[in-house]
Amino acid sequence: MTSAPPPAAQAPVLSPTNPPPPQQLPLSSPVSAVKSEVPVAESRDPPASVSSLPPEPSPVPAAASYTITIPSCSAWFSWDQIHDTERRILPEFFDGKSASKNPGVYKYYRDYIIKRFRGNPSRKITFTDARRGLVGDVGSIRRVFDFLEEWGLINYTPLVKPSAKEKRETDEGSEKKEIPRRICTNCKSPCGMTCFRTDKADIMLCAKCYVRGDYRPGLSSTDFKRVDVTEEIKTDWTDKETLHLLEAVLQYGEDWKKVAAHVGTRSEIDCVSRFIKLPFGEQFLGHEEASENDKPHHKNDEVITTPGEENDPEQDCPKRMRLTPLADASNPIMAQVAFLSAVVDSDVAQAAAQAAISALHKVDIGGGIQTSAVGAKDEGSSAADSQVYSESLNEAITEAESQLEKEEKDVDQYLSDIVQIQMKEIQDEIVHFEELELLLEKDRLQLQYMKDLLFADQLSILQHKPRQVSKDGEKVKPTNLVS
Amino acid sequence: MRSFPPGASKAPVKFRMPTAENLVPIRLDIDIDGQRFKDAFTWNPSDPDSEVSNFAKRTVKDLKLPPAFVTQISQSIQTQLAEFHSFEGQDMHIKEKIVPLKIDLRVNNTVIRDQFLWDVSNLESDPEEFARTFCQDMDIGDPEVGPAIAVSIREQLYEIATQSVSSAREARVGKKGRRGSDIVANSKAGNTVDLGKLFGSKGSVIRKRKEWYLYEPIVDILSNEEVGALDAREELNARLKRKLDEKEDSFQTRYSHG
Repeated sequence: MTSAPPPAAQAPVLSPTNPPPPQQLPLSSPVSAVKSEVPVAESRDPPASVSSLPPEPSPVPAAASYTITIPSCSAWFSWDQIHDTERRILPEFFDGKSASKNPGVYKYYRDYIIKRFRGNPSRKITFTDARRGLVGDVGSIRRVFDFLEEWGLINYTPLVKPSAKEKRETDEGSEKKEIPRRICTNCKSPCGMTCFRTDKADIMLCAKCYVRGDYRPGLSSTDFKRVDVTEEIKTDWTDKETLHLLEAVLQYGEDWKKVAAHVGTRSEIDCVSRFIKLPFGEQFLGHEEASENDKPHHKNDEVITTPGEENDPEQDCPKRMRLTPLADASNPIMAQVAFLSAVVDSDVAQAAAQAAISALHKVDIGGGIQTSAVGAKDEGSSAADSQVYSESLNEAITEAESQLEKEEKDVDQYLSDIVQIQMKEIQDEIVHFEELELLLEKDRLQLQYMKDLLFADQLSILQHKPRQVSKDGEKVKPTNLVS
Repeated sequence: MRSFPPGASKAPVKFRMPTAENLVPIRLDIDIDGQRFKDAFTWNPSDPDSEVSNFAKRTVKDLKLPPAFVTQISQSIQTQLAEFHSFEGQDMHIKEKIVPLKIDLRVNNTVIRDQFLWDVSNLESDPEEFARTFCQDMDIGDPEVGPAIAVSIREQLYEIATQSVSSAREARVGKKGRRGSDIVANSKAGNTVDLGKLFGSKGSVIRKRKEWYLYEPIVDILSNEEVGALDAREELNARLKRKLDEKEDSFQTRYSHG
């Protein structure tokens, strides 16, 4: 796998990711691959990468008994917005070349198709269903439909995990053939390490059958692609193991040997791949690293449980999207911090950030000394001690400063968001009050009218009274009533 | 505003659908071994030909039709597209400016009847937008109604467009003789709304009250039995028509040989 070389413009979710540290290269790039490699590779690639790396389903609460899942690579989706990915892959609606192909129309197609699918998620929606209900030319509808299907926003059923939360998902998910299963279609035995797929006939063979040449006459050995199942095998990580893993990562950072030792029952590679697949591993947000002081310890348990919760990613999505410009995937600690910050309120995040900034100042010098001491040892020359010391000290300082800036930007961003929300609230209230005013005005007018009627009635009564009196006595002129 | 002299028109335009998107209405009505497939949709003629076969395959697969339909569907679409393309490159005079369009269709359980005026010279008009708004305003539950309305409007506009192509051809031919003006007068007498009357001093843009009922859309929901009865009647008519066509064909062959 290449070190993720994403042109910054294309990554919908990440800012340019720094290449992961060397020892992680082969394994952590799948993390970025789930999000950044997907758009970086030719746009036809998404299905390949989605199916070869089991994406972590982010559960979306839907109709009462159903859980709709979408692959994490499509976590950007939100009903209210049109994401850059959509703009990029379906430019016909966004380039303004035709008046009737506009973002509104695109949204209408997209929302209709997804709603229709989610209305009956156990059944795959076909293109004909979709286009029959949509007003428009079938070519564009087909492109939108294909796009949604490729990105798993419709007709997506994840692999069945034995854990309890997945049991609620459709059982048919396990029967679907598009998702590679470990059963060889020929000999009906589990595929084991590698299997061979062909797109021509939706067949999956184990290594033995492939070698034996036991396939249909229409196919030849060149049609088969090799798919390594080991990467797809879902390891049954228990909660305890995951907890150990996270503790170890916090403690040993990127020293996967020690992490694996701490976890005990898992190999290095398993640990890394598992760590990557944990939900927070995909929340790429740049945040202060000093949270290692306060947050992880009391939030550690929460981290384990929150992946298991039914988070509403639609709430998270806009939050994630807001915070993602500062993504930095390289440091797993940062990734964890990023996830935590997304889960937590903006107030708490702000407080933690400020604490982090102050802590960083203190750590600054101390860290500088530490890194310089390490650097000095590596250099192994006493004469260059002081120079190395000051150099690494400077480096540490500049890095800290830049992170400080980032932090301040973050805080500013939060503040502006808060202000915006307040403004919106105020505006809503104003509208509401205007409506109330209108109603009150109407009431007042009506009241006035009633009063007038009443006055008229009073007038007429009073006019009649003197006439009646006059019947008994002399005629009295009707008195002039002054209103 | 004076009344418009007959024959006044803009400079001839290259043939195209008088709508913002140059889309073609396609209607399919295929019968194989007693199984009937009817469909109508809008197609973008600038899509590559490979789209047609893909679409046919996909439709057959989605609807689980027997595979014999694939070729028939492709052929039908290709024929209609070819017809459309044959008009392209020719000129058309858009003389009729405002025409009344009629909608009279039944989609599943919903019956829609409506008529309205449409400005054919407006090359930015959007039948899809109209159909969407119509369904929204009339609170139509069945999502298949929208596309049907859009296709119906497009078909009528297509017909008008093709007529104006032939009238352009005739006008050129008839310039030398009196025939031209006759044809023009005839075609104008057909369906146009006389703009002079409407916008003249005596006319008013607001429709007369007694004409309101003519232009009000009617949306009816039928019960399932009624739908069944109508379907059966249509089937019968279609079968009779087919038999008649076959008879005609056989007559032709007989007499052409004999």
